[in-house]
Amino acid sequence: MRRIVFPLFLGVIFLTFQSTLLAFLPIQSIRPDIVLILTLYLGLFYPPISGGILAVFMGFLMDLFSGNSFGLYTLSRPLIFYAAQFFKGRLYLESFISQFLFVFIFGLGEGFLIFILLDVLNPGPISNLSPLLFTLLLPQVFVTGLVTPIFFFLLHKGFLSFFGHPEMELVERGDRS
Amino acid sequence: MRIRSLFLFRRYSIPVFIIILLLSALIVMSLRVKQRKGIDFADAVLMEFCAPFQKVSNFVIKAIHGVFQEYLFLVHLQRENVVLKQRMAELQKENHQMKEMALANERLYKLLQFREKISPSVTAAEVIGQDPSSWFKSVTINKGEKDGVRTGMAVISPEGVVGQILKTAPHYSTVLLITDYNSAIDSIIQRTRAKAIVEGKGENRCQLKYLLRTEEVIVGDGVVTSGLSGNFPKGLMVGEVRKVDKKGHGVFQYAELVPSVDLTKLEEVLVITGSSLPPQEEKEKKGKKAPVRPSRRRGGS
Repeated sequence: MRRIVFPLFLGVIFLTFQSTLLAFLPIQSIRPDIVLILTLYLGLFYPPISGGILAVFMGFLMDLFSGNSFGLYTLSRPLIFYAAQFFKGRLYLESFISQFLFVFIFGLGEGFLIFILLDVLNPGPISNLSPLLFTLLLPQVFVTGLVTPIFFFLLHKGFLSFFGHPEMELVERGDRS
Repeated sequence: MRIRSLFLFRRYSIPVFIIILLLSALIVMSLRVKQRKGIDFADAVLMEFCAPFQKVSNFVIKAIHGVFQEYLFLVHLQRENVVLKQRMAELQKENHQMKEMALANERLYKLLQFREKISPSVTAAEVIGQDPSSWFKSVTINKGEKDGVRTGMAVISPEGVVGQILKTAPHYSTVLLITDYNSAIDSIIQRTRAKAIVEGKGENRCQLKYLLRTEEVIVGDGVVTSGLSGNFPKGLMVGEVRKVDKKGHGVFQYAELVPSVDLTKLEEVLVITGSSLPPQEEKEKKGKKAPVRPSRRRGGS
C-alpha cells in the first residue's frame, strides 16, 4: 500500500509546488516540470503495473488543474513512463550529463507528442502554437533537465529512507528487469 | 494445456496490462472531450482533495513574499511614494472628467429612452494556483458550485477581462484565461466599433481575428467586449492593439493584442454569477402588473 501512497502524495506535493511556488518565477518559460521528473524517476525505478497507475494518476492531476480540455497528459505521462521503463537497467544514469540528457530528450518528446495531439484533435489549425516549440518548450525542458540531478538525488534518498532499499523491494509478477 | 496457458498469461500479463492502461487513458480523454458526468464527478472529487494544498502553499508563499516586500526591501520607498502621489493627483483629475462624461452619457440615454445597463452580480475569488503545464493558460480560484459559480461564467478584474470558468468543483474552479489558445471572445475595437474575435496566442498575448480589411485599426486602439456572446457584458476592457498585420491579401486582417490585465500577477478576480435588474426597472415592472381602471369624463358628450 505504501509503495502507491507515498509516490502519490509526492505527486500531489510536486504538482502543488509547480502551480504555486514555481508560478512566482518572473519568466514562465523557464518553469521546470518537476512532475515530469518524478514520472521519469518512477519509470526508472518502479515496477510497470504500480508505476503505470501512478503515471496515469499524475497525468490526470495535471489535466485537472490545467486549461487542457482534451486530457492529454493522462495519455502522455504513462507513455513516457513506459518509454523510460524500456531504458531501466540499460542506461548509465549516475552522472549529471546523463540525467540531464535523459530528461531533456523525454521532455522534448512529450512536448512534440502534445503538440501533435493538439494539432490532430483541434478542429481548426493551431499555427499560434508552432513558435511555442522554440520559445517555450526548449527553454522549459532545458531548465527541467538542469534541475533533474538535484531531484533525482533527493528522490533517491527519500525512497531509500522510506523503503530501505534502492530498488524499493518492488518486484511484480512478470517483471523481468 | 493448462500449464501452457498459465505460462502464456504470466509472460504476457505486463504487455496486456500496458495496453489496457493506455486504452483506459484514451477512454478518459474521450470522456473528457464529451464532458461526461462521470469524469466531471472524478474531477470535482480530486479537485476538492488537491486544491487545499494549493491554498495552503499559496498562503505561505504570499506571507513570505509579504515579509520580504514590506520589511526587507524598503529601498526606493521614499522615491516611489512621491511618484505615486503625483500619479494619484493626475488620476483624480482624470476621474473627475470621466464622471462628468458619465453623467452626460446618462442624461443622453434617458433622453433617447434607452434601457439602463443591467448591473451584473459578481462574486470575488482569490487565485490559489496557476496552470502546472506551460502549454495551457489557466488559474484555480477558491470559489465553486456552492458559491454559485457555473461553467462558462465570465471572470473579470477591475482592469478588464480575465477569462471564463472552465471546470467547477463544490468549492474550487478552474478559469481559462484569455491568453489560452482555446479561448475566443467576441469583441469590438473601441474607437471604430469594428467587430472581431479575440483568441489566445499561448503566451501573454492575444490575437484579433476575423477583422475585415476595410476596417481601420491602429496600434494603441483599445478592444472591448461586444456583449454578443452573452457571457461577457458589453464594454469590458480586453486589451490594447500592439501590432497590425494585413498579410498581403484576403478578406481579413489580423492584429496582436496585449491584455489589459497582467495575467501573470493575478491575485483576486470577480466572477459574474448573474445579472440583476436595477431597482427602478423592477418598480416599473411591478407598475405594469397593476390593473388599469377606466377614468370618468366630466360633462361633455
